[in-house]
Amino acid sequence: MDRVKHISASLFWPMVLCASLAACPFAQAKSPADGASNPPQGMTTDVPGALPGIHLVSPVPNGQWLLPAGDYANTRYSPLSQINTKNVENLKPVGVMSIGIPHGFEGQPLVVGSTLYVVTPFPNDLIALDLTKPGFPKKWTFQPHPDIRAEGVACCDIVNRGAVYADGKIIYNTLDDNTVAVDANTGKLDWKTQIGTIKLGETITMAPLAVKNIVYVGISGGELGVRGRLTALDVNSGKILWKAWNTGSDADVRIGPDFHPYYKKDQGKDLGITTWNPGQWKIGGAPIWGWLSYDPELNLIYYGTGNPGVWNPDMRPGSNHWSCTIWARDPATGMAKWAYQVVPHDSWDYDEIMEGVLVDMPWKGKERKLMLRPSRTGFMLVLDRQTGELLSADPYVPVNWAKDFNLKTGIPDIDPAKRAHFGKYTMDICPSSTGGKDFIPSAFSPKTGYLYIPAHNTCMDYMGVAVNYIAGTPYLGASVRMYPGPGGYHGDLVAWDVQHQKKVWDIKDAVMPVYAGVLATGGDLVFYGTLEGWFRAVDDKTGKILWQFKTGSGIIGDPITFTGPDGKQYVAVYSGIGGWMGAAAFPSMSTDDPYAGLGAFGAMRNVKSITSPGAALYVFSL
Amino acid sequence: MTTTVRTRLSIAAGSFAFLLFLAAGCNSSKPVMVAASTSPSTTVAVGPIPGAEAVPAGIKNPYDGNAVAIQDGRRLFNWYNCSGCHGGHGGGGMGPSLRNETWLYGNQDDQIYDSIAAGRSKGMPSWGPKIPQNQIWELVAYIKSMRTPQEADPPLEPSAETVQPPTPDMPSGVPLTK
Repeated sequence: MDRVKHISASLFWPMVLCASLAACPFAQAKSPADGASNPPQGMTTDVPGALPGIHLVSPVPNGQWLLPAGDYANTRYSPLSQINTKNVENLKPVGVMSIGIPHGFEGQPLVVGSTLYVVTPFPNDLIALDLTKPGFPKKWTFQPHPDIRAEGVACCDIVNRGAVYADGKIIYNTLDDNTVAVDANTGKLDWKTQIGTIKLGETITMAPLAVKNIVYVGISGGELGVRGRLTALDVNSGKILWKAWNTGSDADVRIGPDFHPYYKKDQGKDLGITTWNPGQWKIGGAPIWGWLSYDPELNLIYYGTGNPGVWNPDMRPGSNHWSCTIWARDPATGMAKWAYQVVPHDSWDYDEIMEGVLVDMPWKGKERKLMLRPSRTGFMLVLDRQTGELLSADPYVPVNWAKDFNLKTGIPDIDPAKRAHFGKYTMDICPSSTGGKDFIPSAFSPKTGYLYIPAHNTCMDYMGVAVNYIAGTPYLGASVRMYPGPGGYHGDLVAWDVQHQKKVWDIKDAVMPVYAGVLATGGDLVFYGTLEGWFRAVDDKTGKILWQFKTGSGIIGDPITFTGPDGKQYVAVYSGIGGWMGAAAFPSMSTDDPYAGLGAFGAMRNVKSITSPGAALYVFSL
Repeated sequence: MTTTVRTRLSIAAGSFAFLLFLAAGCNSSKPVMVAASTSPSTTVAVGPIPGAEAVPAGIKNPYDGNAVAIQDGRRLFNWYNCSGCHGGHGGGGMGPSLRNETWLYGNQDDQIYDSIAAGRSKGMPSWGPKIPQNQIWELVAYIKSMRTPQEADPPLEPSAETVQPPTPDMPSGVPLTK
């Protein structure tokens, strides 16, 4: 039954996506009418060697890289196999470009046709590189000139996580709360829409996602008392279509008669108000700054929300809906389909904003539509993405804040001794606020059935402290100190066998967390980077490091792969340490204060002896 | 110096009233009456001046080295959310470290006062309208005490039992599983 649905869906694919051709991300595809049975140009549903029963709902990138994760399902998988386990030892850098900014270089480039697009950290320039010429010279640079005061309200370095391609435009967000759409050919501004205001502590760091004729944008500022929301914009005009708030009344949250949360704890009227002390929801955080995904068959968009504000949990009694929550919504109207709050009354800053990886695969003998979430809580969450039911939760790093999740109620079995409180340190909580993994995206290979997770092993001491809300300043209320967790290692690239719910191999990092994104390819390779600056290719089945190259700085960016105009396969990655944890490497930061950087610098005290800032793009080929 | 001084914060939610009360109760240092003439001028140049060497305004902190003021400054450092940007004990984060040797806008008492009262580019707010002058001087006293024996509530490293050293036979990134 599922298989039949799949075949028909793959035939329908380009038509569904390109219902409005003008707004279609694959508008370059020729003749969608007679090409309906062909994959759109630059993407494919054909994954040679995929394990039986594993289906991807969205075509994967095959030559180009048009979406932040390459596809709508957040797999970060490309079937390109010119570079493979047999020849990867010959991989060498063929293009290096400094962008002149000593800040964290997160996210990934886009490749559309024969142009590679880079969005820089603040001031968020968009640089177009010509892939047809040796050394990839600049074609043009678009400068949005964001407000410099935005730097002062960005919690975790002045980063940007990339752009999305739609309707001939490169669309991305600037730190000062604007979404810009730039003509992909000319580099001229098409439209610009203000989404938030820095005076309320709001910034934008996330990469938008575009589906059909709508682009979706979240907001950052969970440490500054913002009120999180998703904003939907018209791809053609930039006009704001609707907003779905993460706190407030059901009307504000866009909850209506079609809302069917799986668990009782998430059912009830106006939970976005009633689960807070009076008024606190107005400054309750719950931002959106991670990755969105889209299922074209179920026609749902998915994303998660961040921590509730303030960090002092005793200042906000209640479950604090809809913080730390996974959402499924109708992409056109924004009306909620289901929601699942992973952590009620968060006391640890466990934002649930990371990627939901959408895969159809056999699960306990039955084909299921799954969402895989390597959660900041340290648990690998597997959900049924049709209903929001939690199917399993297994630790993938050392965890002690909760023993397990009750799959019948959806509630974590929290160790009360590990709850943080006002006025007293709770010691040795694992994982730390930075999570078993932060927003740094994982990758899934349909050839192995493994999810490759860039993980941390950090623990923390956490105390709630008194704090005032002063608009536009940190609304933190916590004193936190992080340090490496048990086992004498600090980072871990984990290969997780989804069906068997276990780690199959890992690459431990003794000195630093793994804070770079992952790419899986049809060449049986997994690419990732380390904070020391090594960029690596790893055998996807065994974890053996087959090739590595030392880049100029620590890697916190996400690798991509594409086919150049010359027909050769390339791999590209950003190098440049920074971000929440990596900012400890900056000359303007001191590592003798383990409570600095929201407590993260405690875990990074050796970083200055390991690497230095300096952002650059690296491109590799055989 | 025309900075308006308000002794009360505008607080958004009534639920914080009890915390305010707590803070008021902890304010143990004697308020110093700071005469208007002793306030530093915000018109002092913050960058190098061409020609002859610039003469600092030279206004000293009335609380300089005062242990009680340093303690109060430490409390205010959290109270006004300074710690949210500059780190729990001033090591930095959203904003630069106040513990290191680099002073973008000068390390003299009046220069630090100016940075707090007038604000700086890249997002340091202008706190003059929000924080009473004597409290700004207490913050200056605390900031100048960092990394000295007088530092109030200095940062503590986790104990050796809590943090295990890196495993010596685990060179970074060598696969453990074949």
